[in-house]
Amino acid sequence: MIMVRAIVRPEKKDVLLGELSDAGFHAATVVEVVGRGKQKGIQIGDLIYDEIPKTLIMLAIPDEDKDDVIGIVLKYARSSGGGAFGDGKIFVSSIDEVHTVSSGKTGL
Amino acid sequence: MKEIVAVVRMNKVGATKKALVDAGIAGFTAVKVMGRGKLVKDASLIEERKKTLLALNPHNTSCGKEKMVTEFLDGTRLFPRRMFTILVHDDEVSKIVEAIIQVNRTENKVGDGKIFVLPIMDAIRVRTGESGDAAL
Repeated sequence: MIMVRAIVRPEKKDVLLGELSDAGFHAATVVEVVGRGKQKGIQIGDLIYDEIPKTLIMLAIPDEDKDDVIGIVLKYARSSGGGAFGDGKIFVSSIDEVHTVSSGKTGL
Repeated sequence: MKEIVAVVRMNKVGATKKALVDAGIAGFTAVKVMGRGKLVKDASLIEERKKTLLALNPHNTSCGKEKMVTEFLDGTRLFPRRMFTILVHDDEVSKIVEAIIQVNRTENKVGDGKIFVLPIMDAIRVRTGESGDAAL
């Protein structure tokens, strides 16, 4: 099992969650976050905005679905016209155990 | 070292905090998150939940309550949860997981949350610079 954490533009959240659900990845945790990337935020004149709002989507999925999920995020979170700075990042990490509270079962 | 990520009901935050203290782990990070779980395929379970939820406040018939409850159950709407992040030693993982499961389980059969256990490479205490297990 792996944990995919995708940081995307807030305005892409709804379409991305819809597409993930259609592809069978319904369960997700969503957090509104602020952050900055390699471009050091956005500079307008002398003002630097380095707390740019983004949405963090967390998905726990089986190993073999990794490419599917990443493909969906890349396709629907990318800005039109081949992408732009600020479209986000995807992080993948491993999960040792998953427990469901209501049933006490382990596994996804 | 392991990182335990537990997503629990908002009204179970107090109980979860108390259970963690009782289990000997006082430190945690909690964030308010929105989420949704697996789609429930069992129609009778959904019907039952819908009836209970609609009966909660029978005097409130306005503001699209039924629509909201339906959306909650068919998965089009995200609902609020609290996400706990707890760092623990390897040998404490099962104890903490058990403690969280025990206080968070309800009669509703769905929506009690998930617990993830992730490996973590290192932890460093900022105050002293200690790293590894000593920093927890």
